[in-house]
Amino acid sequence: MILVLGAYGAGKRDFARSLGYKEFEMSDSIEAEAPVLFGLEEIVRADPEGYEALIEPLCRRELVLCCEVGSGVIPNSREDRVFREATGRLCVLLAKRAEAVVRVVAGIPVAIKGELPCARC
Amino acid sequence: MLILLTGGSASGKSSYAEDLCLRSPMPRFYLAAMQPYGEEGALRVERHRKLRAGKGFETIERYRDYGSLVLPERGTVLLECICNLTANEMFDDDGNMTDPRERVVEGVKNVASQCDTLFVITNDVGSDGIEYEGSTQEYVRALGDINARLSAMADAVVEMVAGIPILLKGDVPA
Repeated sequence: MILVLGAYGAGKRDFARSLGYKEFEMSDSIEAEAPVLFGLEEIVRADPEGYEALIEPLCRRELVLCCEVGSGVIPNSREDRVFREATGRLCVLLAKRAEAVVRVVAGIPVAIKGELPCARC
Repeated sequence: MLILLTGGSASGKSSYAEDLCLRSPMPRFYLAAMQPYGEEGALRVERHRKLRAGKGFETIERYRDYGSLVLPERGTVLLECICNLTANEMFDDDGNMTDPRERVVEGVKNVASQCDTLFVITNDVGSDGIEYEGSTQEYVRALGDINARLSAMADAVVEMVAGIPILLKGDVPA
């Protein structure tokens, strides 16, 4: 599993496309079998307390795309704070398990663990 | 030596900083700037205490005025965190606002002068693109300025992303 992080709209899905993944291979549902999961933060938002149960199913994916959500003012609402914390903790745990971690900054993929994956043949 | 660690919320800053402290000489002091408000604050403090347990830290709770702090001995210090210290210096208990920049930066200098290695944790709070009302926006700007001044002073600067340290300046102790 390769973890792909980056700000909202930073180009994470474009990065997946650049590797050769097609739209039908990308899904934002944890139940789907697609090789690419995007929008992980929204799955966490729906059930922030249950984030640890996501680790095993996510590790079976080829790419997991998640927004970085921790770099703003501490939110006023408890719900938002818990969501932010859970997303961050989950990404730390996933990064440990991932073969590689790629951070997309303004459309540029930067490998912060392991190496940038090659495009699929 | 001054090492600045930045990164988003829950990016693994504390646990990385504590691991670095374990490789640095004793005694070890933990300077806690967070005033725990309510149940959530108490839980956060408890989580950090558990992370530090058995790592040989003496905890000193200090919410503001680091400029006059006197450490009991030289050694390794972990200061957590600049976001809380800045808020505490900026707003008093009656809600009066003062510019925190000098007090925070001079405070860090004072602590650094009294120890061998100082690890300072901060956060980047200016990346959500939201424009806040008056004093919050002032706080975001002040913290950004303080981070830039601390980075300029620091021997090393590390950004944490999902528990992965990204070296932005200098070298961390091996």
